[in-house]
Amino acid sequence: MAIDQIHDLQQVYRKILHSMSRPGTLSSLEKEAKELDYEQPCKKATMLCAMTLLDAEVTFHILAENGRLIERISEYTSAKYAPIEEADFIIILESDSKQAVSQAMQLCKIGNLIDPQLSSTWIIESNRHTETGNLMLSGPGIEHHAHLQTGMPDVFWQSRRSRIKEYPMGIDLIFVDDNLNVACIPRTTSVTETEVE
Amino acid sequence: MKANTHFAFFDEGSKKEIRRATLKAVAIPGYQVPFASREMPIARGWGTGGLQLTLSLIGKQDVLKVIDQGADESVNAVSIKKLVQKTTGIKVTEQTEKADLIQSRHRIPEVPLTKDQILVLQVPMPEPLRAVEAREYMTKRMHSEDDYSGVWLMLFEQIMKYGKTATAADHPVYVNGRYVMAPSPIPRFDNPKMHQSEALILLGAGREKKIYAVPPHTDVASLAFEDYPFQKESFEGIHCHLCGAEGVFMDELVDQETGKTTHQCNDTSFCMEQLNKQQKAEVASVYG
Repeated sequence: MAIDQIHDLQQVYRKILHSMSRPGTLSSLEKEAKELDYEQPCKKATMLCAMTLLDAEVTFHILAENGRLIERISEYTSAKYAPIEEADFIIILESDSKQAVSQAMQLCKIGNLIDPQLSSTWIIESNRHTETGNLMLSGPGIEHHAHLQTGMPDVFWQSRRSRIKEYPMGIDLIFVDDNLNVACIPRTTSVTETEVE
Repeated sequence: MKANTHFAFFDEGSKKEIRRATLKAVAIPGYQVPFASREMPIARGWGTGGLQLTLSLIGKQDVLKVIDQGADESVNAVSIKKLVQKTTGIKVTEQTEKADLIQSRHRIPEVPLTKDQILVLQVPMPEPLRAVEAREYMTKRMHSEDDYSGVWLMLFEQIMKYGKTATAADHPVYVNGRYVMAPSPIPRFDNPKMHQSEALILLGAGREKKIYAVPPHTDVASLAFEDYPFQKESFEGIHCHLCGAEGVFMDELVDQETGKTTHQCNDTSFCMEQLNKQQKAEVASVYG
């Protein structure tokens, strides 16, 4: 059965919203991903997020030279491909190098003080997420502390910190993994790496 | 359910646009994110912002509750409920704890909200600085510069004139220590319910084309001075003449003939629940 653009994507949106308002909380897209029966050139959860949030009014950027994926997302969502400096959504694949990701983070848009919403949202593929792990999160949406494991290197969090220090400007992150879990880290969340025992 | 309307009235493109704005609003608590604000079958200024949020959120499994000034059966609540129900076929409820989505005009329910609920508030005037500065161009700059002296001055002048802050409703709040926000015209009584709330709170202003949010577990502080601390409406010594409840927000009713005043719960579903409980207990004590 094909994915239902109305009801399945509504469910995906509600799960992203749930995770965005509670940073570090995982939401499962397993049910919706079952409906996505085509072979995708990216993780299924990535495509679900793209189909939920992208349309002809926004632009996206993919770091890797992946013509097939660009074409597929454009076909599915009518969104336009744009350079990193202009893109509203930036999609990071698991195969992207640390260096390229850090570089992209320095170039992406973070809004301005008057219009902080004109910033980029990142959809990041990573290996398995867990709600335990070396990242300690705090900020709005988190009662005391939350923990998260995303598999992103320390240098990634350093680059992020340099782009969110002038709050309200900043970037919002949506993490997706093979187990079809979504976790979000908006710009308000402070992330500290703790030592792994 | 009408067969010829799209699910939840909107086309999918409109929903996506509102959804993107909502996610940005959650990421920047208290900041008013501009959005397109579609034409709705009810007039702007009558809850179209809240309605658009509700329609962008709602799914087949959701149970909806709509309140207008605490009442489930008031005109605004009923017409919005009907519109959503006819275009989605979802269930509606009057019981706060049974609802997944609660759209409200100017009240936060008495029953504490949970993490699985989303509260949508209708906002007529989203800009707390509008009384001080008429130009949107300027208020946006004031927000960006964290310049809220105008709001503080407004409260100060009220104290000078009336001996206390005289905001009957819509008392401005600081969200997450950064943005001053209009909490929509909820009574001051409800302001503390926004602080560290369990539920996500979304606010929509249709006429002014703004969406903003208070994520759960976020600091919300009502603006006040050290020597003039923030005060809720006091209902001390007052109880509801129907159910006898105390410590909830009350409506004052004046009998036109006798001139006698009585008080009644503003939250009608809460009042009804209390009455049902009492009746159940009474029946149990008589027949049990």
